[in-house]
Amino acid sequence: MAKYFDVIIVGAGPAGSMAALKLARAGLNVCMLERGQHPGAKNMFGGLLHNTPVLNEMLPSFWERAPLERYVYKKVLAFMTPDSAVSLTFENGNFEQPPYNGCTVFRPAFDSWLAGEAVKEGALLLCDCTAEDLIRKNGQISGVTVKGREGELRGNIVIAADGVMSFMAEKAGLRRDFRPGDLGVGIKLLLGLPEDTINERFHLVRDEGADISFLGTTGGLCGGSFLYTNRESISVGMVVHLDSLKASGQAPYDVLDELLEHPQVKKLIKGAVPLEYSAHLIPEGGIKSMPHVYTGGMMVAGDAAGLCYTNGINLEGINLAMTSGVLAAETAIEAIEAGDYSARMLSSYKKKLDGSFIIKDMKTFKNAVGMMRLERLSRTYPQLLTDILEKVYRVEGTPRSKLLRLARKEALKKIGLKGLVSDGIKIGRSLL
Amino acid sequence: MNVENLPQLTQFQVDEQPHIIVNKEICRDCDHRACVLTCPANCYTFDEETKLLSVVYETCLECGACYVICDKGALDWSYPRGGYGVCYRLT
Repeated sequence: MAKYFDVIIVGAGPAGSMAALKLARAGLNVCMLERGQHPGAKNMFGGLLHNTPVLNEMLPSFWERAPLERYVYKKVLAFMTPDSAVSLTFENGNFEQPPYNGCTVFRPAFDSWLAGEAVKEGALLLCDCTAEDLIRKNGQISGVTVKGREGELRGNIVIAADGVMSFMAEKAGLRRDFRPGDLGVGIKLLLGLPEDTINERFHLVRDEGADISFLGTTGGLCGGSFLYTNRESISVGMVVHLDSLKASGQAPYDVLDELLEHPQVKKLIKGAVPLEYSAHLIPEGGIKSMPHVYTGGMMVAGDAAGLCYTNGINLEGINLAMTSGVLAAETAIEAIEAGDYSARMLSSYKKKLDGSFIIKDMKTFKNAVGMMRLERLSRTYPQLLTDILEKVYRVEGTPRSKLLRLARKEALKKIGLKGLVSDGIKIGRSLL
Repeated sequence: MNVENLPQLTQFQVDEQPHIIVNKEICRDCDHRACVLTCPANCYTFDEETKLLSVVYETCLECGACYVICDKGALDWSYPRGGYGVCYRLT
């Protein structure tokens, strides 16, 4: 086995495998290091693989071959209080036509499949290999060592696609220490239910899937909860900010129970059998907490580069990861052609990211990071909304107010003028 | 979610070498011990009598929440050796 590679990729997740696929097709000698027994063995996410143009371009009609669960055509945003719920449902037939807007996947299956596509094109995949440290030569990164094994891998370029905790970026001096406020912790329980039961309960047919985002079911913590339908199971979980969790003194699995026990959710998951429990960190600090993404001999992609954003409505990461992997690979191809692996040469990776939808979207929603940290967003506003609607619908033989007057009165009572103005500015700057 | 059922739900390939080592001296005087409640897998326990913090690395989901939340530098935390640790099947 050649121990010298054109490119060494740490991590065979979505970013790493897309980079490997691109590089292998360019005829380069590329190696992926994966610490799990197989790609995806260490990976979890809520459940939704977003439509990603580079994936469609590089693997046309991938949906005919990839292990997918359901095409998500129904999006629900639900505001919850302990005993009531207000939800907005959007159903769109276009979402179940190719290229599908999103599909639910199991990461161990999908990540293994994607890495396999890179292997078919000639990439080398080494599983059971945890990268431990970086090797430097003449001030540039030129390889990695593998934990618990003798020997090392050397190459011209290292692409660190080693996930949110990226020890590679840390060892390269590209990121500062983590701050709890920049990270969310996601936990998820996979629940088994028969396919027909899922179709009936969520009003789905064929391969249709549903994605429900909940606000107000995180025990007052900053964050949100989710439910995704798979073919014969549903994924239920939540994401909360680590600092908010620490301050609350609550355990995450106890907070998840609040969602599982909610009367509206309970009937959706009735009779379901727990299949698997998982947890992962999510980079939620936005563009301001991104690490540097390149240095001499190395580039950082995907979660490792902090490429992820949420604005309360969109939650994207996997599509940014795959796209960044391809951009890093394109940069590596240019660098290898030029025989130049310096930071200056690799800085074109940052330019490519800046010019893509990745950094553009992260900039567009840069203020949403602060908005998502509004505690009232996950507690008071769902309550306000349900209180208003309860008054709107309740019939009790007393005179009614017009809607605006009713809403204003309730909002002033719950939040106060000062709070409303300050939240209005924050939410407005984030989304409008 | 009864976290006690974790080993029945999620698959682990346990290494005899722990990948998390706590500095019990530092943890004895910690003012928050946030790791105990933050860990999604309930791996940390603090014994009030002996004032010792212990960790069950065998059911660690490798999320890193404890590593980020510990502001005392009391955790020596790394990924397990290749092939060991949590091994998701579905998720």
